[in-house]
Amino acid sequence: MSTETAVMPEADVPPAPEQGRLSAGRSRGRRARRDRAGYLFLLPWFIGMLFTVVPFFASLYLAFTDYNLLNPPKWIGFENFTAMFRDSVLLKSLQVTFVYTFVSVPLSLAAALGVAMILNKGIRALPVYRAVFYLPSLLGASVAVVLLWRYVFGLDGIVNAFLGWFGVPAIAWTSDPDYALTTLIILHVWTFGSPMVIFLAGLRQIPVMYYEAAAVDGASRWRRFRSITLPLLSPIIFFNLIQSLIASFQTFTQGFVMNDGGGGPANSTLFYNLYLYQQGFNQFNMGYASAMAWTLLVIIAAFTALTFFSAKYWVNYDN
Amino acid sequence: MKAGGLGLAAAPALAACGRGFGGGGDDDSGDGVTLNMVWWGDATRAEKTQAALDLFREQNEGVTIEVEYQDSGPYQDKLATRFAAGDPPDLMAMRMDSLREYADRDALLDLNEYADDLDLSGLSDNAATIAEVGESVYGVPAGLNTVGFVVRQDFADQYGVPIPDGNTWSWDDLAAFAKAISDASGGEVYGTGFEAQTLANILVFTRQRGENFFTEDDQLGVTAATVQAWFELINGMRDDGGFPPAGFFENIGGSPDQSYIAQGKLASQIIPTNNFLGYNEACGGTLVLLRMPGETQGVRRGQSVDCPHLWSVAAASKHPEEALKLLDFLLNDPEASLATGTTRGVPANAEVAEEIKASLEPDDQAATDFLIALQGEDLPRSLLYPPGGSAVFDFLDALAVEVEFGRISPADAAAQFIEQAEGAIAE
Repeated sequence: MSTETAVMPEADVPPAPEQGRLSAGRSRGRRARRDRAGYLFLLPWFIGMLFTVVPFFASLYLAFTDYNLLNPPKWIGFENFTAMFRDSVLLKSLQVTFVYTFVSVPLSLAAALGVAMILNKGIRALPVYRAVFYLPSLLGASVAVVLLWRYVFGLDGIVNAFLGWFGVPAIAWTSDPDYALTTLIILHVWTFGSPMVIFLAGLRQIPVMYYEAAAVDGASRWRRFRSITLPLLSPIIFFNLIQSLIASFQTFTQGFVMNDGGGGPANSTLFYNLYLYQQGFNQFNMGYASAMAWTLLVIIAAFTALTFFSAKYWVNYDN
Repeated sequence: MKAGGLGLAAAPALAACGRGFGGGGDDDSGDGVTLNMVWWGDATRAEKTQAALDLFREQNEGVTIEVEYQDSGPYQDKLATRFAAGDPPDLMAMRMDSLREYADRDALLDLNEYADDLDLSGLSDNAATIAEVGESVYGVPAGLNTVGFVVRQDFADQYGVPIPDGNTWSWDDLAAFAKAISDASGGEVYGTGFEAQTLANILVFTRQRGENFFTEDDQLGVTAATVQAWFELINGMRDDGGFPPAGFFENIGGSPDQSYIAQGKLASQIIPTNNFLGYNEACGGTLVLLRMPGETQGVRRGQSVDCPHLWSVAAASKHPEEALKLLDFLLNDPEASLATGTTRGVPANAEVAEEIKASLEPDDQAATDFLIALQGEDLPRSLLYPPGGSAVFDFLDALAVEVEFGRISPADAAAQFIEQAEGAIAE
């Protein structure tokens, strides 16, 4: 083993300088050839990037234009951005997105951590349970599940039938503007699988001896959670928080499917991205839609930066 | 992590640019001409359309037709991106409310300039000029359509409530009928129900009050008083019990089988008349088709002969002659309409409509008669919607729900609507 590792790299070591110009030139050619192979392997990525980078900068340009998809874009400077401040529907969509994010992200992370801790108790057939709890995340943002959700929360759905046993009158979960967003938040919390799997992996990294030592010292279960689990898991929590935050700001499918692309009832599920889409494709304001996309980018970047900044106060990297 | 956020945030903009790559290019092999034809609809409509296209192909060898169809929602997006990508289809289905978005930006062919290729003489004046903008015509009706009230005869019999005379009934008659059904059924069945925000419904009411929703010079024509009266009409029926409570209408999909009237929860509702066959089948053949209420009491008639589905040709089409030839075939050849039936509405060419009537199912015949009768009457002209019109209906939709749930009074909602709508049109 050790001889192998010692010999292997030597073949790749560049010739020593004293070998002269000739071999140096040869080595350059060899390196170029080797690099070419590397770039060749990267080619799919470069091609993929082309489809990302070009539209990315195209949308930045379009954000400063009046572009209706049919006529060439007209440069209008910051007009799209100033118009956003006067757009009451846009402000409503921001409100919807913020409420959704700041309610559903903490709730779904708490649910994910809770279930991960239960599953970490050394349950038999853990892979099965893990798969079952993960399943909703695979389906969560899919059209089929939102449609299913519509029936579960329909006027004659299971939820109302259940509440009916306790004498609660039927609630129009999906068509009442007071409840529609709540219904979508519940859907989001239900899809806690991805963070759960990551939490589970993190929990298994925490050495059992810490808990044993704490138990010997008489620490309560809550105390062990607060003083061992949370600090040691904080990098994982941080990762999940960032992931969920970014995804949540970009919610689209749920609002689109729940009310056939409308964001209804009464714009109560009009997510920012959904309104952006309406502006771009239904109302032919692609310049405005591009400006909205870049504004969302700034908003997400700001919240991500804020979270990173806060990390030094609560994320514990000393293992 | 940050980089991931950057990439994802721009995703909507990317999607915008990415979708236009679909669609067929012009792949002319030899002398052949390839036409790209796109429309919205379902598999049944696709079958019927294909049958008509096969006939056209037999008569015109060398013309290949590439057909693409999909649901109406995604269709809209795809059409916009096809134009944006500089690859518009030759012949396309066009919604009446988006025609101006394209026509005003010179994206569509002015059919008046091709009068030799396309014969519009068989169409009524209203039908031939339905897509007229200024001196130009940018589309022809793929079929004519209107709205009607369907009432379940079995419920009327069961609860002993006579169905009013559909040619002369008023909105008050509707309210009385609805209340009687709801009362007699003990709340099992609501007498009537329809959405306040559905455009076709409020348009009729607006015309009956002597107004146009949009005026000919692209202004908002409907008044706050009319919007308020419309909301109050529905609120009144709801308070009476004849109309379902707030939140009743959920997103249940558009097929007749799923409709509330087929489920037996409503005794009457408004439908586009070309769907009469589907609804009557779903209701076990118990439906009666009436005109809209208020037609004889209003300042003027409210019903109009409309065309939800126009055919347009792209200004950038490389084969306008062939595209127009196909369009002429679909419009004027009885064989084509025999194949397609009334899937897009009653054929706009009156002679063709008469000719195919005998071959239709009885329910389709009834709907066709209903429309032909209307077409012979003096009705207000249906007007195109100005660019920005779709935003106006988004406002109406949101406000109608606010009113439904009592979060705002009809008067306040009407005032807000006028203010928002005027702002959107002025832009």
